[in-house]
Amino acid sequence: MTAVAEPSGITVRVESFEGPLDLLLHLCRTNEMDLTRVSVRAITDQYLAHLESVDFQDLETAGAFMVMAATLIYLKSKLLLPASPDDPADALDEEGELLRQELADRLREYAHVKALGAWLGVREAEQGLLYGRTVGELPPPEDIPLQDLSVHLLQRALQRLIEEQKRQRPREIEPNPLSVLERMSEILDLLRHTWSILFSSVAGAEKIRAEWVVTLLALLELARLGQARARQAELFGEITIEGSSVSVREPAGGPLPDVRVTDGKMHGVHVDDDEEAGP
Amino acid sequence: MTEPIDVLEALLFASDAPVEPALIQEVLELPSADAARELVHALRRRLDAEGRALQVIEAGGGFRLVTRAEVAPWLVKLARSKTKSRLSRPALETLAIIAYRQPVSRPEVDAARGVNSEGVLDNLLDRRLVRIAGRKESPGRPFLYETTREFLVAFGLRDLGDLPKVEGDLVVVDPAAETPPAEPAADAEEITAAADPAQQDPGPGGADLAPRG
Repeated sequence: MTAVAEPSGITVRVESFEGPLDLLLHLCRTNEMDLTRVSVRAITDQYLAHLESVDFQDLETAGAFMVMAATLIYLKSKLLLPASPDDPADALDEEGELLRQELADRLREYAHVKALGAWLGVREAEQGLLYGRTVGELPPPEDIPLQDLSVHLLQRALQRLIEEQKRQRPREIEPNPLSVLERMSEILDLLRHTWSILFSSVAGAEKIRAEWVVTLLALLELARLGQARARQAELFGEITIEGSSVSVREPAGGPLPDVRVTDGKMHGVHVDDDEEAGP
Repeated sequence: MTEPIDVLEALLFASDAPVEPALIQEVLELPSADAARELVHALRRRLDAEGRALQVIEAGGGFRLVTRAEVAPWLVKLARSKTKSRLSRPALETLAIIAYRQPVSRPEVDAARGVNSEGVLDNLLDRRLVRIAGRKESPGRPFLYETTREFLVAFGLRDLGDLPKVEGDLVVVDPAAETPPAEPAADAEEITAAADPAQQDPGPGGADLAPRG
């Protein structure tokens, strides 16, 4: 916390000021200054002393404080250099007087705003003690009361939609859906040229889930039809697909499939085909 | 239990928004809004006389049935949370400027506070205490802001006329008259004269409100 000792000896936390007007108002009050007759001479030094001790968090706030400092210094410089030697010591030229007047006006207005803000704060606290219904049990009216709506809500809704869209990853479009039947004929084609193939070479090394599922289903179906055999040496191991000795012309629902998942527990997995398999 | 006064109590109990006298008149098929108002006063007197924990308050152009402040500590216990979230001092000051000067643009609010009000204004918009009222026909066409009915309800105001009168006028600087060398371009914005809050639109249903009885 930055704190500065004022000439009067009171310690003030600079961070608690909302802006340059807030700080200036505080200085006027502690100096018991009439807001319509702000003494630039007295206040400028105190204002600058406060400013030096502030560690500004953002440039915008810092800028607002600096603009006020510049105004004060400008006014003070005018006081130090009277336009003509005859002028009284505390006189300002026309431009300076206008500037001081504007400053005084803004200060007075800010004093009002501050007072009104405080009044609203008290009001809010009082109302905070009263509890009423905020969500209705009644069904909503058929026509939406437009007077309670704002453009802002529309803008917020659109913003939410846009952000939601951004979060969604672009959808992958499959060139063509995988078919078990096609995969079966692919396997059979391959088996025509070689004696055995690896499951992974058919399903693809990218391990796309859909590819693997379709390939497995195709393989199981081929095995059930007796057109291929599958061998797996160990659990989760590579499956070897071999051409079946059984002729392709063998009718569907022929001999039981020769699926062997040799994990030590299951042998001859029976693919349920109670509708097609004859006795 | 179906006397008009009982029905009115039910209306106020069930509604989540202030119920306007005109709506009470319509629902209860009363001859006039004044009759509705009379009925509300009768209900208010009855609740007071019976020492009930509920009371009728007038806010945002209508009537609400709310608990009395005395029972608030128990409600806080019931809610298992400290208090309702309160507005910060900058938010209250910004709200004060908007309430008195509406419709008002952000540069005008900034000028009155001496600091940037963007974040504060966003917060007030999110809480629906202010809303965009249109655009100002000045360079940059900034949005104009005004207070909402939620604002009146949150602060227990019947209408904007319930805001305290400022002694003297809210002083307004007209930068068009002179351009101080130390002031940046932000003040080139023309600031409209502060309107008398009593002359402003009191909000829906607020125009025909009688003084609080």
